[in-house]
Amino acid sequence: MRDVLCRIAVALCLAGVGWVHAELYLGGYRQIAYVGPAFLVLASGSFAVAVLLLVSGSPVLRLLAVGLALGALGGFVMSRTVGIFGFVERGLQPAPQAILSLLFEIIVVAIVVVSWRILGMPGKRPIDVP
Amino acid sequence: MTEQQQEHGKQQEHGMTRRQLLRHTAWFGSAVVLTIAGGEVISQLGGGDPPSAAADDANALRFVQISDSHIGFTGPANTMVEQSFSEAIGQINALPYRPSFVMHTGDLTHLSTPDQFDQVRQMLGTIRTDQTYTVPGEHDGVDDHGAKYRQFFGKGTKGDGWYSFDLGGAHFISLVNTLGLETMGHLGADQLEFVRKDVAHLSSDTPIVVFSHIPLFAMYPKWGWSTDDSVQALSYLKRFASVTCLNGHVHQLFTKTEGNVTFFSATTTAYPLPKPGEGPAPTPVTLPAGQLHAALGIREVSYVRGGQQGLAIKDRRLV
Repeated sequence: MRDVLCRIAVALCLAGVGWVHAELYLGGYRQIAYVGPAFLVLASGSFAVAVLLLVSGSPVLRLLAVGLALGALGGFVMSRTVGIFGFVERGLQPAPQAILSLLFEIIVVAIVVVSWRILGMPGKRPIDVP
Repeated sequence: MTEQQQEHGKQQEHGMTRRQLLRHTAWFGSAVVLTIAGGEVISQLGGGDPPSAAADDANALRFVQISDSHIGFTGPANTMVEQSFSEAIGQINALPYRPSFVMHTGDLTHLSTPDQFDQVRQMLGTIRTDQTYTVPGEHDGVDDHGAKYRQFFGKGTKGDGWYSFDLGGAHFISLVNTLGLETMGHLGADQLEFVRKDVAHLSSDTPIVVFSHIPLFAMYPKWGWSTDDSVQALSYLKRFASVTCLNGHVHQLFTKTEGNVTFFSATTTAYPLPKPGEGPAPTPVTLPAGQLHAALGIREVSYVRGGQQGLAIKDRRLV
């Protein structure tokens, strides 16, 4: 039961990440070289994995969820430091999308990691030997 | 031994059973397929056209931005700025379409002498386009706050040389933020009032394009790469769905987004400058032989009326 709740929470947060990036993509980021296509991939990937997580708790999907969230976090950090192919933003702009996305991404990583630690990895259950 | 035990044995031996591998592959494949389908849906919501499509659309408004030609510069960073500017013009003339206009975003000359202005004007006259526009850089007002610049390029402009025009459904504003008596990177009260009145009658769905020499965002204020009163100017543009600011001055590509505004700094046709904060000052960078052209370039911009909301930007290296 706890596993299902965790999956639902991860799916909702991941959909949130996807929603923020899809909205930014449609709002103008699609014009920016490399960053625009990356937003599109992140948004569609997040939606896809969010939907699939509601159906299955496959470790592959959890890894993809963490990968997408970490990828978005990495992109955020790069865009505030070294830049992404010349694309640079400062602080928590655009607001409130930047902070919302950050929160969703951190929650996704935290839930997946903590649930793995507490509940164990699905498919790795001990087998009863008669 | 039961089937489960056999599977467990195989798992211990190889780390994963065939069934598990198939299951993982199926979920991964589903994620990939859904991602592609979702990406297609989202891009269709955005108007159906990928960013590059506007440039290939015969009905698109297309223009070219060039910047910082520094005609008259003689340093080792580029001993032949006239030639590289000429090559940039050749690259524009070789485009498979005739741009509606070409905008030079400042520092046309290096020392703002009449001869340098005359040379730039003649060279701009060779571009295959309907119209050329300019905004002044600080090098175009070295000793006279832009008086000579306005003699050559100020016809039909207001104040220190600012103006606006409409084309292809978009509204273009050219601002002057380099000729202030006290500080660089300043628009001033008169120009701010011009911007306020200029956009007052426009509907909020009109795409706005703003040209200036110095960035209208704080790219690196320590080096004068910012405009101190740009926030006021941009506040008049907040209600517009799409605002694109194109600038020169920094001699390198740089993009930044703040809300509805996207800023694009252009590269130069003359010589590169260091990245923000790399080195004590923004002095010309001398690149190893053969690498200069990669740092120079032109920018193609296109906009489809009724299509995508913003503008499509393509930066091209000098060839």
